[in-house]
Amino acid sequence: MTEALHAEWTKLRTAPGTVWLLLGVVAATVAVSVMATAAVACPAGGCALDPAKVSLTGIQLGQAVVAIVAVLAIGGEYGTGMIRVTLTAVPRRTHVLAAKAAVVTALVVPAATLAVLACLLAGRLILPGHGVTAGHGYPPLSLGDGPVLRAAAGSVLYLALIALLSFGIAAAVRDSAAAIGIVLGVCYVLPILTQVVADPHWRRHLQQIGPVSAGLAIQATTELPSLPISPWAGLGVLAAWAAAALLTGGLLLRLRDA
Amino acid sequence: MTSGTVTRDRTAAGAGRDGFARVLRAEWTKFRTVRGWAVGTLVAVAAIVGLGLLPGLQGSCGKQGPASTCTLPVGPGGQEVSDSFFFVHQPLAGDGSITVRMTSLTGLLPAGSAGPRGPAGSPGPAGPAGPGTGEEMRAGLAPWTKAGLIVKASTQLGSAYAAVMVTGSHGVRMQDDYVHDTAGPPGTVTPAAPRWLRLTRAGDTLTGAASADGTHWTTIGSAHLAGLPSTVQAGLFTASPQYVEAIGAAGASTGPSQATAAFDHLDRQGTWPANAWTGEKIGGADNAGPLERGGFDQSGGGFTVTGSGDIAPAVSGAAGLGTTITQTLAGTFAGLLLVVVVATMFITAEYRRGLIRTTLAASPRRGRVLAAKALVLGAVTALAGLAAAAVVVTFGQRILRGNGVYVHPATALTEVRLIAGTAALLAVAAVLALAIGAALRRSTVAVTAVIVVIVLPYLLSISVLPAGAARWLLRITPAAGFAVQQSAASYPQVSNLYTPADGYFPLAPWTGFAVLCAWTALALAVAAFLLRRRDA
Amino acid sequence: MNDTTIVVSGLRKRFGSTTALDGMSFAVQPGQVTGFVGPNGAGKSTTMRVILGLDAADEGTALIGGRPYRSLRRPLCHVGSLLDAGALQPSRTARNHLLWLAHSQGLTARRVDAVIEQAGLRAVARRRAGGFSLGMRQRLGIAAALLGDPPALMLDEPFNGMDPEGIVWMRGFLRSLAAQGRAVLVSSHLMSELQDTADHVVVAGRGKVIADASVAQLLAAASGDRVTLRTTAPSAAAVLAQAGATVTVTGPDTLTVSGLAAGAVVALLSAGAVPFSEVSAHRATLEDAYLELTRDAVEFRAAAPEVAR
Repeated sequence: MTEALHAEWTKLRTAPGTVWLLLGVVAATVAVSVMATAAVACPAGGCALDPAKVSLTGIQLGQAVVAIVAVLAIGGEYGTGMIRVTLTAVPRRTHVLAAKAAVVTALVVPAATLAVLACLLAGRLILPGHGVTAGHGYPPLSLGDGPVLRAAAGSVLYLALIALLSFGIAAAVRDSAAAIGIVLGVCYVLPILTQVVADPHWRRHLQQIGPVSAGLAIQATTELPSLPISPWAGLGVLAAWAAAALLTGGLLLRLRDA
Repeated sequence: MTSGTVTRDRTAAGAGRDGFARVLRAEWTKFRTVRGWAVGTLVAVAAIVGLGLLPGLQGSCGKQGPASTCTLPVGPGGQEVSDSFFFVHQPLAGDGSITVRMTSLTGLLPAGSAGPRGPAGSPGPAGPAGPGTGEEMRAGLAPWTKAGLIVKASTQLGSAYAAVMVTGSHGVRMQDDYVHDTAGPPGTVTPAAPRWLRLTRAGDTLTGAASADGTHWTTIGSAHLAGLPSTVQAGLFTASPQYVEAIGAAGASTGPSQATAAFDHLDRQGTWPANAWTGEKIGGADNAGPLERGGFDQSGGGFTVTGSGDIAPAVSGAAGLGTTITQTLAGTFAGLLLVVVVATMFITAEYRRGLIRTTLAASPRRGRVLAAKALVLGAVTALAGLAAAAVVVTFGQRILRGNGVYVHPATALTEVRLIAGTAALLAVAAVLALAIGAALRRSTVAVTAVIVVIVLPYLLSISVLPAGAARWLLRITPAAGFAVQQSAASYPQVSNLYTPADGYFPLAPWTGFAVLCAWTALALAVAAFLLRRRDA
Repeated sequence: MNDTTIVVSGLRKRFGSTTALDGMSFAVQPGQVTGFVGPNGAGKSTTMRVILGLDAADEGTALIGGRPYRSLRRPLCHVGSLLDAGALQPSRTARNHLLWLAHSQGLTARRVDAVIEQAGLRAVARRRAGGFSLGMRQRLGIAAALLGDPPALMLDEPFNGMDPEGIVWMRGFLRSLAAQGRAVLVSSHLMSELQDTADHVVVAGRGKVIADASVAQLLAAASGDRVTLRTTAPSAAAVLAQAGATVTVTGPDTLTVSGLAAGAVVALLSAGAVPFSEVSAHRATLEDAYLELTRDAVEFRAAAPEVAR
């Protein structure tokens, strides 16, 4: 297993795209967050606003880049046929899958941490200029604040889980383009459909079981009782989806000819 | 390597029109012979149709007996209108005028902080089983609370009218026939700073004027109400519309509001009866709560008129009733995703296995290859989109109505625009995906890039972003193209959350579509440039 | 000794309605190059994929030193393989491709540099593998197969895409690997490629083994050596026939002799003072043997139903 990990680490490290994609995760996340926070307007009358959530808006874009990293980690090998070389070198499917998943997570977590911290810093610097001040009931964003810390740590975990979900899907469908299509469907189209199509009652249920809508509940720091699902339970839903995807990918990898 | 010969080949002139037809035919054969692509396109159609015909929306219109049927009055212009207010009136025969001084305008607003609202959800409080009783209220005026003088053809709902009024926060206005709105002097009314209003009828022409002191008058505007009967109902009115407040980015709190206006110095010119004034609640639900019922009080020379409702064009969404036929096209997002994946692979698959070299050896003029691919993709997706949109726009609204959801009727022309627009939206998005795929040559990155530029701005604008930022995103990103699917008009004189989720876009339908086209043209130009310049 | 062999027994596999393997059985011995030949679709690649645990057989076993491939802890140290030289990430350098493979077996970069040297890739080791010619990719694949210094090697069509110089290199290379005592299995659909390389040949057809013999045996079993003799002397045929050769008249002054080596023919004619103008020897090729074998196999198959009756 150590060897498998070492090999996968070397593989991702030496793929020229990896570094750029990880920088892309940070850049995309921070850029969108900066734009979102700069667009906030909180007049003196007060505004219904979740400063932490707005500051972390960029996660919505960052997750797409994270998904690319995760999908390419296995889908790229199917594209070139290199998966057969990999499985020849490490014949135990579970080891290959676990090593890849671990390495992808290990790469995504630092990038996500950096991105999240930068987002919060941006929120802390930008939001007060737009009326989100202590005077309006919003203390500056600080990791010392329990809910903000949860939103921050949870966002890092969220991105890691999105990576695992994408990875599991890619392992199951074995084609990068199809896999990224499914992942983007889960990340972007499903929340839109949930929002637009369903009856309010059904919408709440769909938001409770949807991987992204439930997972992003972790970012909420205000109006917690009105959330469809509590923050940690929401992240748990996403974790369940990621586990299911990994399990499916792993089973198919074991059962199918390479 | 081989690029040297290819470079020389492609500078040689091709065989003109025939050459292009052959490239086109070749690309079509390529497209239809990959089973996955054909299946992907068909699944896109199925997704649009499926999501359009199996909507989760449920409403109460017509579900609780014949009395619960939802109908909206139709105004003189033929559009659906809100016509609900408290009317203190007398008949006016022939020409004449009415003048009054308004000394105060106060109101009640819902206390707010309701849960997240349904975007196009079940009928709002204007529906049969609307709330409005026992809710906590706070003092305040809705921005478009209206009180003042009105001359109306009759008390029938949707009849022609002209009114001059003081509003909650838009100053003095002159409005007529629900959609026309002219601004007068700004400011609101307090006992210290009362406002004089005058409405004069001369034939079909009604003229509104305002004054701060009753001596110096400013004409705000005049309205021509064709076919106004010789005897009209004229008098005082108060209306206060459904109050809407955004909660965060995706939520809203709505509720009925109420206003009370105090008038004195009533002065009439012309032929008026001598008998007393009639106070009457016009429009609104039969079973409305006390808040919406309103009333009036006449003491001495003064009147106090309390009312709720609105005299304005009807809208859908938070402040209005029901939804629009745009709702039936929600599946476009799922279809779009599939179309984008197929379109991207149409070019990136060639790069993955080196097929592009064979393609360019067979047709050395690279721009033509790109054009042929774009044409094939565009045509296939447009046809698929046309079929899918035609089905959902035709049958989807029937299913929604069957579920008790009020669907604002759209003209045939609007329906055709929605169907054609959806087809065009999918086709252009497919070409955009092709262009980005040709430029990036990597399917994963290309698919993500396309979805991120088309779908993510929409998602952000309906979920996280504040309204201002959301509107900008939907103006400048390719997501502006979804505007082509809007079927409802927004009105500045109606407070509503004109959100994309309710089918309102900041750009006009074809303007928004043009933004998408511009992006696509740019991407195609870059792709063609790179395709020519790079070695295959 | 047993540790270095590849043993395949009774492999069966179907892909839908196609039978890919139909009882494939053979063993690869150490210290020699075993050619694995057969027409396209004979099941060579599928067999190799089953040996490597990439495909699961419906029936039968494939063992490396007595163990299934999937149970090997460091498989590349037991058997090195090259299935598809194009199966690599084009954007990664040759050295980095070998590096991750080395790490997967707990090997170090030092071993990577050693195999790069061995495969003659030093000049291009730090270039992107995507830009390699097919021949260069084959060399990279060979380097990957050698990484674990395995006692057994398995190469699928290694001559494909190689220039003549590369083919000569590859032949010598395979011989030297066998000389080091390794078991080498090389598949090819062209028998001629293996002519001077293989010691032993496994001929596959329609998913099973048609012949499994040493090259010497195969050549002997084939129609044998022939000698063409140009002579006008009528006694020549008699002299040679007496010595046990089969003589056929194939032209006005040409005889074809089989059963005697060219040297023996010259000695006999010289001893009998029979004049001749030319003696030329034709060695039977593996190709001849192969064609003969596959023909037999077809005939055998046609006859089989009658036996069953």
